[in-house]
Amino acid sequence: MKISLKILFLTFAGVVWSVCCTAQDRYSDYRTMMQKINTLSGDYPALCTSRSLAKTAGGKEVIVITIGTGDKENKPGIAIFGGIEGSHILGRELALGFASSILKESESSEIKALLGKVTFYVFPDVSPDAAEQFFAGLKYERIFNSAQTDDDRDFLNEEDPFEDLNSDGLITLIRVSDPAGTYSESDEDKRVMVPADLSKGQTGSFFVYSEGIDNDKDQKFNEDGPGGVSFNRNLTYNYEEFGINAGLYPVSEVETKAVLDFLFDHFNIYVTFAFGPQDNLGQPMRATERSGSAQTSAQTQMPAQGQFPPTGQMPVQGQMRMTGQQRKITSILNSDEVINKLVSDKYHEITGIKGAPASRTPPGNFMEWSYFHYGRYSFSTPAWWFPAERDKNAEVAFLKYADENKMDDVFVPWTEIKHPDFPDKKTEAGGIKPFATINPPAEKLGELVSNNYKFIVAIAAMHPELEFLDVNVENKGDNIYRLSLKVHNKGIFATCSEAGEVNMWTRIMRISLETSGSQKFLSGQKTQRIQRLEGDQSAEFSWLINGKGSIKITAGAVNTGMITTSVELK
Amino acid sequence: MKKIQLTCILSIILLVLTSGVSGQDESLFFKAAGSPANPKVQASWNKYYTYAGITDLCKKLASAHPGLVTLGSLGKSYQGRDIHILTISDKKAGNPDLKPAFWIDGNIHSSEIQGSEMALYTAWYLCEMYDNNAFINQLLKDKTFYIAPTINPDAREYFAYVGVPPRSGLMPLDNDRDGKFDEDGNDDMNGDKNISQMRRKNPDGEYIVDRKDPRRMIRVEPGEKGEYEMLGMEGIDNDGDGMFNEDGPGGHDGNRDWGFNWEPNYVQSGAHKYPFSQPENQAIRDFVLKHRNITGAQSFHNSGGMVLRGPSIQGGGAEAYSRADDAVINAIGEKGALMIAGYRLVTIWRDMYTVYGGELDWWHGGMGCFVFSNELWNSYLMFYDTANTDSYEFDRLLLFEDSFIPWQTMTHPVYGEVEIGGFSKMFGRLHPGFMLETDAHRNAAFCIYNSYQSPKLEITNLKVRKTEGGLNEVTATIINTRMIPTHSASNLRYRIDPPDYVYLEGGKVLAGMTVQNADLNITTEQKKNPERMEIENISGYQHINLKWIVKGGSKFTVRVESVKGGRASAQTE
Repeated sequence: MKISLKILFLTFAGVVWSVCCTAQDRYSDYRTMMQKINTLSGDYPALCTSRSLAKTAGGKEVIVITIGTGDKENKPGIAIFGGIEGSHILGRELALGFASSILKESESSEIKALLGKVTFYVFPDVSPDAAEQFFAGLKYERIFNSAQTDDDRDFLNEEDPFEDLNSDGLITLIRVSDPAGTYSESDEDKRVMVPADLSKGQTGSFFVYSEGIDNDKDQKFNEDGPGGVSFNRNLTYNYEEFGINAGLYPVSEVETKAVLDFLFDHFNIYVTFAFGPQDNLGQPMRATERSGSAQTSAQTQMPAQGQFPPTGQMPVQGQMRMTGQQRKITSILNSDEVINKLVSDKYHEITGIKGAPASRTPPGNFMEWSYFHYGRYSFSTPAWWFPAERDKNAEVAFLKYADENKMDDVFVPWTEIKHPDFPDKKTEAGGIKPFATINPPAEKLGELVSNNYKFIVAIAAMHPELEFLDVNVENKGDNIYRLSLKVHNKGIFATCSEAGEVNMWTRIMRISLETSGSQKFLSGQKTQRIQRLEGDQSAEFSWLINGKGSIKITAGAVNTGMITTSVELK
Repeated sequence: MKKIQLTCILSIILLVLTSGVSGQDESLFFKAAGSPANPKVQASWNKYYTYAGITDLCKKLASAHPGLVTLGSLGKSYQGRDIHILTISDKKAGNPDLKPAFWIDGNIHSSEIQGSEMALYTAWYLCEMYDNNAFINQLLKDKTFYIAPTINPDAREYFAYVGVPPRSGLMPLDNDRDGKFDEDGNDDMNGDKNISQMRRKNPDGEYIVDRKDPRRMIRVEPGEKGEYEMLGMEGIDNDGDGMFNEDGPGGHDGNRDWGFNWEPNYVQSGAHKYPFSQPENQAIRDFVLKHRNITGAQSFHNSGGMVLRGPSIQGGGAEAYSRADDAVINAIGEKGALMIAGYRLVTIWRDMYTVYGGELDWWHGGMGCFVFSNELWNSYLMFYDTANTDSYEFDRLLLFEDSFIPWQTMTHPVYGEVEIGGFSKMFGRLHPGFMLETDAHRNAAFCIYNSYQSPKLEITNLKVRKTEGGLNEVTATIINTRMIPTHSASNLRYRIDPPDYVYLEGGKVLAGMTVQNADLNITTEQKKNPERMEIENISGYQHINLKWIVKGGSKFTVRVESVKGGRASAQTE
């Protein structure tokens, strides 16, 4: 019985897979995604492994796909995320598409060389519970997992869900004709409901609610449906205590904790790319000048190149006298801003996408967490957006864009329904279809996957990379030698983001010498720290050594890779 | 060989256990005021307990007082030890998990070990006084104590058997960020289970030996010649990176690991990856989330002689403090400063320093509890004097130099001939034996006071009146007879606990309302579920008047159920 079921499942999945594979004309549901992942690790066993990090409350696996060669954990790592916010189904497709594209290209000389230098960690979907709502019989934009929560904190769980009143399988809006109503039809587009503007002499004639009934009779509609906690509200940066979908405390969910544990354990990861609602590729983050900020103090506290902090303590502790408020980093630091600008320019150039989406940074989101609390270069983009103008209604702008681009399946026309809460009032259901404003029509997927793949590959090539320059031995006579060299970062990215420099969860590079025979250091230490190196920056070191023989020199950290060389003192 | 030893030890423990609970011959002594004269569990409070000793005492209390004590485990520490939790309450007088409860934990910071003795003493005292004292007897009928003597057992063992541990538990951390974990800690070079100071003879050094007490090193005046240089803590460069003791065991701070106002390591030194990174704190969190009846908490630390209150950040973080809550916290805290001689009430951010992600803030902000953290022991206690706080003199006159490790010559692999010595780990921040019981009693009494002030709800003035239309008008008053409200400001702001529910049973309830002014008939009707009135909060000493209009019924019961205020009911004749 079990076997036959499995076969049935595989056959079914196979059918779905082959359909998807021939042309990327639909979004992948959970089962298809899992099948694609298995196929990738089956087809490229030498380059690609996948493992499950956690099982969500909804019983779905959160998978990480590792793509690389050789000693994967000791090379600069690049983490790529889909499903940052569960309603952004596109993210899953782009992350998965990246994995499959790079593996397909893995025989090309460009990708072969890249995989020799860096390791990719692809998380196709970190919100798999939420994403399934896109494929369910009842569709609504869902961002939370399947954990039981009391979203409106009225001590009842999930007592007021949506109802599909017009039976179209979609949750849109309802509007109730009522002279006391506060909404009216927009002048720009009659389909869109906008709050009546008293200052323009308007009065409303509709109430507008989400589609459903007020099950618990608290005058609020659908405020406590099934679920849950959102991955993209559950992280520590700017976390909102007891916020909606935020969880009871930061990192409360099994999948959040598992993903973060993986990231914190992988000190080699130096950059994260997220496909989700947050954006710093359309419009890069901007540094703001603040007096007494961590931005200036972090730099002044750093000891000179090669030196340890005077007290033997961590740089962090050197700042103990500052208050916590002053140590907080809340806007991008100057040298990271330069890189963000560069990467954003490349994004426009490579993908051809214009403008920027509306900026949204809800509390506890991933993009900001990854930069401010994880201390890594962090990039995020919705990857697809419609042009919106400041102070213009976004729904009107979207419908205009949809009309221009022949997206004809994005609106449910207002039609009259019967509503138990409003027996005597004209009630209509309608509005923009769920998911339509965040996810493009599936026929765009192929192009989007290809463009975003090319972008990440181009940025990956800018990874930090160390080399020794000007390795020089001077024979000073009397069996004394001066050894000098430079450690050069030939990459474009710094060895570590500037924000990460003060963060415990990034590594500090070391340079160490292995002497032979009875060699002794007359000047310089056996092991020294290498402070953060910007792209194309070098650090110089020299030692005075007594005694002939070979010396092995090792430099770096996991996030830059280790380099070694040997010299002979003779 | 080992097995035989173990059996021997076990049988000795068994012997001690059986003899320990039997009590003593009552003709040999008579009772001193306020202490149990002949406790069922014999315990002395002039020494420190190992983890095994704590376990043993907890078990003895549970077996000697089955009607009062339940011993459980919150979960496992990083190294796999059970984190004990004692639930103490008169079980016959009601389910302990439904009574207003007070939480006590000790030893969150590894070297701050005497919090465990304070917690254990409180548990022992409550149990042993239950039959001897009317106040304690009634308290345990009304209230529950959840007591976790050590929430950091791994580091406690390290303290007892190895040396002074880090501030934290023993979860490895790469303090020097070189990719190796805990590879260069302090080293007990002379094997005395203490990490002491190192000094070296050096004519250019800045220290000389004090002629009045040669144990003491004093810094020379400018221009004066020195004899010694101080070389820091006992240790060698284990990993050969040119630094001493830069990456010892652990390194995070268990008290910067809580899910409220949390900030990462570069803002708040000691923070780990995210809140509740530590298994010990996860275990406490999970227990507390299931025990919403906890109204107040005490987390014992050392030192400084302070009763600490929040907020821990200037102006507070996300948590709420109302004027009313402030008044309650100050009133209780001031009483603590009176009860515990030499201690003062201190607001963390203002009088000490800023703390992000502290346990106290989570209790207050995240759980809606009234919480204090006592910093045990201060130098005043030595001579009951704030002016004379000379540790050397105290050690000489009262401890007979028991807490000082005499300077001893050793050969250090880098420094050559050095001397190792100084005060032992048992002095400076820890109570000497003879003072431990005194301070334990005062701190226990403060916890008992806290618990007493948790809400106690009573129903009075239950009356029935026939209305003109033949209906019944039922009125009742709900009173909180103690200082602490059923809901703190944070609790109300975040809706942490449900409101207090007042049920009316008997007859069909047509309407229910709270009465603001009975004479003028000013009321607020509750339109939904009038048979279960919802009261947002019952403040300390507040009276809430309720009125129902009921059809039918002859005998009426009014019941109040409050998560933090306990339960009460009244019935008409």
